[in-house]
Amino acid sequence: MTGQGLGIGIGLAALGVGIGLGLIGFSALQGMARQPEAISKLQVVMLIALAFVELVFLLTVFIVPGTMGAFR
Amino acid sequence: MLYTGLVVAIVFATLSVAMGNVRSAQKSGTPVFRKLFGGLFEQVYLFVHQMCTGTIGPHGRKYVPMILTVWLIIFVSNAVALFMPTSPTADLSFTLAMALMCVGYVQWEGIRAHGLIGHLKHFAGPKLPPAMFIVTMMIFVIEMISEVMKNVSLSLRLFGNIEGGHLAVTSMNQLGEAFYVPAGALILMPIKLMTVIVQAMIFTMLTCVYLALVTGNEDEH
Repeated sequence: MTGQGLGIGIGLAALGVGIGLGLIGFSALQGMARQPEAISKLQVVMLIALAFVELVFLLTVFIVPGTMGAFR
Repeated sequence: MLYTGLVVAIVFATLSVAMGNVRSAQKSGTPVFRKLFGGLFEQVYLFVHQMCTGTIGPHGRKYVPMILTVWLIIFVSNAVALFMPTSPTADLSFTLAMALMCVGYVQWEGIRAHGLIGHLKHFAGPKLPPAMFIVTMMIFVIEMISEVMKNVSLSLRLFGNIEGGHLAVTSMNQLGEAFYVPAGALILMPIKLMTVIVQAMIFTMLTCVYLALVTGNEDEH
C-alpha cells in the first residue's frame, strides 16, 4: 500500500510542477516574442524561476519516501 | 572518490594548458585568441564574465575567479556523469560542501562590503518605527532561516538533478532491455546533456544573485 501512495504522491507533485514550468515557459516565450531585445535578460530570470519550481519537486521526491519510512 | 580525483585532474589540466597558452602568447606577442586552446577558453571566460557583470553589476568583475572556479568544477563533474556510472555531483556530501562554500563566501563578501553590523542590518529588513521592533525581530529570524535554507536548496537541486538523471536513464535502459535497445542512453542522454549545462549555470548564477543582494549599494534601490 505504501508503494501505491508514494507513486500517487510523486505523480501529483509532477503534475503541479509540470503546470508551473509550463506557465513560466509560456509567459517567458510571450515576453521574448513581444520584446526580442530583452531576450538575454528574460532568459536569466526564466532559468532562475525554473530552478525554484524544480526544487519543489525535488523536495517532494526526497521528503515523501522519508515520511513513509522507505527512504531509499 | 575516484571520480572526484578525475574531475580535479581534468580541471587542473584544462587550467594549466590554458594558462600556458596565455603565457606563450604574451611572450611571442600574438593575441590569445589565435591560440587554439586559449581561444576556446576565452569563450568560457567571457561567458562567466558576462554572467557576473550582468547579474552583479559593474563591480562584478571582482568575483569572476571564484565564479569561474565553481562553474568549471560543477560543469566537469556533471559532464563526468554522462560517461561514467557515477559522478561527484551525484553525491550529496559534495554538493553540500560546494553550497556551504558558496554561501559562506557570500557572507564574507557581505561583511567586507558593509561591515559586520551593516551585514546583520541587511537581514533585518526595511527601517521601521521603534514601535514595530518585534516585527523587525521576526523578519530577522525568518531571514536567518532562509539564509540557512539557501545551502539546502543549492545542494539539493544539483544533487537531485544529476542523481535523478542517473536513475531515469537506468530505469529506461531496463525498460528497453526486452528489445535489446538502450532506450535511456538513446532518448534521455540528449536531455541529460542540457541538464548538465543548465545546472552548472543555475548554481553559479544563483551564487551571483546572492552576491548581488548582499554587496549591492544601498543608494541604488
